[in-house]
Amino acid sequence: MKSRSILLLPLFVAIVLGGACKKKNKTLAMDPQRNAYDSEPDWNDAQSVILLNYQQAQGKRIFYAQCVWCHADSTPAGPSNRSNLKPMPALMNDGTVLNGESDEYLQNMITLGGSAVSKSAMMPPYGQTLTQDEIREVIAYARAIAQPPYQPPARPGSKYTAK
Amino acid sequence: MQAEGMGQISRRLRLTFAVASVLFVIALAISPVKDLLREWKRYKRDYVSFAQTRPDTKRLLADYHADIDQIWIPDLGIVDRCTTCHQGITQPSLLDASVAQPFRMHPPIPHRVREWGCAVCHRGQGAATEVAEAHETTLAWEQPLLPVRYIQASCGTCHRGSLPETPLLNRGRQLLSELNCAGCHRLQGIERSEMLGPDLTNLGTKVSQQWIYKWLKEPRTVTDSSGNVTVDGYDSEGTLPRMPQFRLREPELQALSAYLSTLRANPVESLRFDPRVVAGWSKRPDLLAQGELRFRQMFCSTCHSFAVTRAGETKLIGGDIGPELTKVGSKVNPDWLAAWLRDPQSYLPHTRMPRYQWTDEDLYTVTQYIVAKLNDSDLLTNVPQLGAPTQTEIQMGRRMFVDKGCASCHVVEGIAPQRDLGPDLSAEGGKDLSQLEFGPSRIPRNLIAYIQAKITDPTSVNPSARMPLYKLTPSDLDALTTTLLSMTGTPAASGMQKLIVPRPEGTFRPAGEFSRVYERYKCSECHQFNGVGGTLAPDLSYEGSRAQRQWLISFLKNPQTLRPTLVLRMPQFNMTDQEAAILADYVGIVLQSPLVDPSKIDPKSFSPEKVALGRQLYEVKYQCQSCHTIGSNGGYVGPNLSNAGNWLTPAWIAAWLRNPQALVPGTIEPRRSLTEDEIQALTAYLATLHQSRKSTTGASATNGASFRAGSEGGGRQ
Repeated sequence: MKSRSILLLPLFVAIVLGGACKKKNKTLAMDPQRNAYDSEPDWNDAQSVILLNYQQAQGKRIFYAQCVWCHADSTPAGPSNRSNLKPMPALMNDGTVLNGESDEYLQNMITLGGSAVSKSAMMPPYGQTLTQDEIREVIAYARAIAQPPYQPPARPGSKYTAK
Repeated sequence: MQAEGMGQISRRLRLTFAVASVLFVIALAISPVKDLLREWKRYKRDYVSFAQTRPDTKRLLADYHADIDQIWIPDLGIVDRCTTCHQGITQPSLLDASVAQPFRMHPPIPHRVREWGCAVCHRGQGAATEVAEAHETTLAWEQPLLPVRYIQASCGTCHRGSLPETPLLNRGRQLLSELNCAGCHRLQGIERSEMLGPDLTNLGTKVSQQWIYKWLKEPRTVTDSSGNVTVDGYDSEGTLPRMPQFRLREPELQALSAYLSTLRANPVESLRFDPRVVAGWSKRPDLLAQGELRFRQMFCSTCHSFAVTRAGETKLIGGDIGPELTKVGSKVNPDWLAAWLRDPQSYLPHTRMPRYQWTDEDLYTVTQYIVAKLNDSDLLTNVPQLGAPTQTEIQMGRRMFVDKGCASCHVVEGIAPQRDLGPDLSAEGGKDLSQLEFGPSRIPRNLIAYIQAKITDPTSVNPSARMPLYKLTPSDLDALTTTLLSMTGTPAASGMQKLIVPRPEGTFRPAGEFSRVYERYKCSECHQFNGVGGTLAPDLSYEGSRAQRQWLISFLKNPQTLRPTLVLRMPQFNMTDQEAAILADYVGIVLQSPLVDPSKIDPKSFSPEKVALGRQLYEVKYQCQSCHTIGSNGGYVGPNLSNAGNWLTPAWIAAWLRNPQALVPGTIEPRRSLTEDEIQALTAYLATLHQSRKSTTGASATNGASFRAGSEGGGRQ
């Protein structure tokens, strides 16, 4: 009788403790590219890859359909129209030009065209071709590929704020 | 004795009872303590303190409550508690990457996150309230979170048509149909196509047994002059060898090639050229040069690719509608070639190759050129001596043809394709781990690794797999994986059926004389007509509203006039005047857009003042020259407008200026807010731009760079 209860006790303790403990699971080995919707090579450094989220990836798609012809030096079709234009349009990843402009300014510029913000009229207005969300996606993409990297306006930190 | 014994027992019992009670109380206490320390409660509390560090605390906490959040989608059988921890998921101020998870906002997507939740796209365990259980594989849960790279699979579960937002999924679907996966597998939303591989009924008349042997061993291997394999059946432009590599042993190769070389249902008769043509040309030193010139003018490269070596690098150049032709001269029987070029449909009734209009001179010189120049004398050097096919070989070859599933893609008279030769894949994307057989492989135990291993090397998970080898780039492998993951089978919850967005179906039925010419020149292989046809060339659904009849006829007769620098362009079919007129008349009458109204534009009102105003608008106010060229000035993004007055109808120009996307959805020319007067003036200017034939060639000569953007942009206008 005694031996039985002695046997039972540790078993009971083990069950209680086992239930209280958290199961630790092996996580799937994941490389970062698998956790990004899309990626784009850094235009200034073909070796490094910039990871894009959904919004930035949609911006990339619109960029390669609409903007690439004048805002990049090479296009999916080969040569670019950029060098053909005066003044020469900014490269989409040119942080020295774009990092200084706010999202709102870029949104206006793309929506209303260059002439609306006293820039070249060669930049056409896209407000009736792209939706405001699509223009935001293009800006998000430009921010993602910017070199030097774009820093969003500072916000107060906490332990859930990286860096 | 007994009482004493009982006392002892009761003392012992009392002790046991006491200890058990203490343990029981502790166990009881564990539960509320555990509940208090639950992970999600910690995230709830942390969110409050996090929100207090932000400037917009009030808005961040507007919907806050301390309980579990739950989104329930009964149609899909989904219970989703992810927003319990991901509390900032719809807060725009938390979008940027500096906000750490779980509080960052989800990037804006077309579906409302608060309505659909997370598990519907990301999979994982929506009902779980612990981090590990929600995101990862545990003993009880088999569906881990889908890596974001493959997330488009979830879009494809409901959206059966192609969405611009899901390039990877679209590519995967395209691959599945191009590689004829439906020949052997049952797939969701991809039907077995009418024509898979080439019809082999007459193969013996076309190629030699040696060539068949080589092809079966290593399909489409391109080697450079030094013998290095440079294009291993695959190039970066996305042309794929549709024929995969089967793992065949030597006797199998011999037997199968022996069998195939005996397939000669209708022997080809050698084409009788006019003896005067042969006599006149065969001695001429410029025979091959003329043949090449003619060959180039026909733009075979729009559909066929060729390996070209430039600066030591071999690349495939050209389209992928037809097979690659670099070494076709060493492949086919010259008699067969001439007969094929003259009338492809008589050899293969459902071929995609157009029937060109030939003169004997053209056909003779081109055939001579192909045989002499598109040729590689070393192609068959590695092929062993193959004796005449023996009866045993032929029988074994025929059996193999059936066993290996060749009949799934190729037609041979008397052999019916085996249905469902490969496993049913229509529910592959929803499979649990327990349904997968990993065999001897050492890959990670999850569905994605399984699918990728299976596609890359089928024998790695199943040593007796019949599936052949396909060569895929990493991104195509991901595309196929995504598409297979999207196939989750018949929805378990019946409500899901109503959420499925079906693929749109196009309708276009050409009629009368037009249909005969349309079929002859295979217009719909490259052009779209009301959603039917290829995407290589401009959509012609509204061509009748766009192009002037006279221009259309001269273009059909000589397609080099528009965009002369393109690589992939309209072949010169040598149409007769009558055929060109039939096409132009039908296009002009039937392919009309309701948005283009000729009565609204009166060419008589194009006064010089109006034209001058239009020119000023074009050059100064809207600076259209940034993308369009007139004369020799301007950009290359849109089409050259120097000849707009002869090419475009004034009504089309006006309608286009009003709203380009209404005429050609997705065209890249942005829509502007032009006043009606401005539209009239610009139309007047463009409609009076004329170019004589002489200056066309001059302009094309200066337009040196090949610019495919033009073709795409121009395809749309």
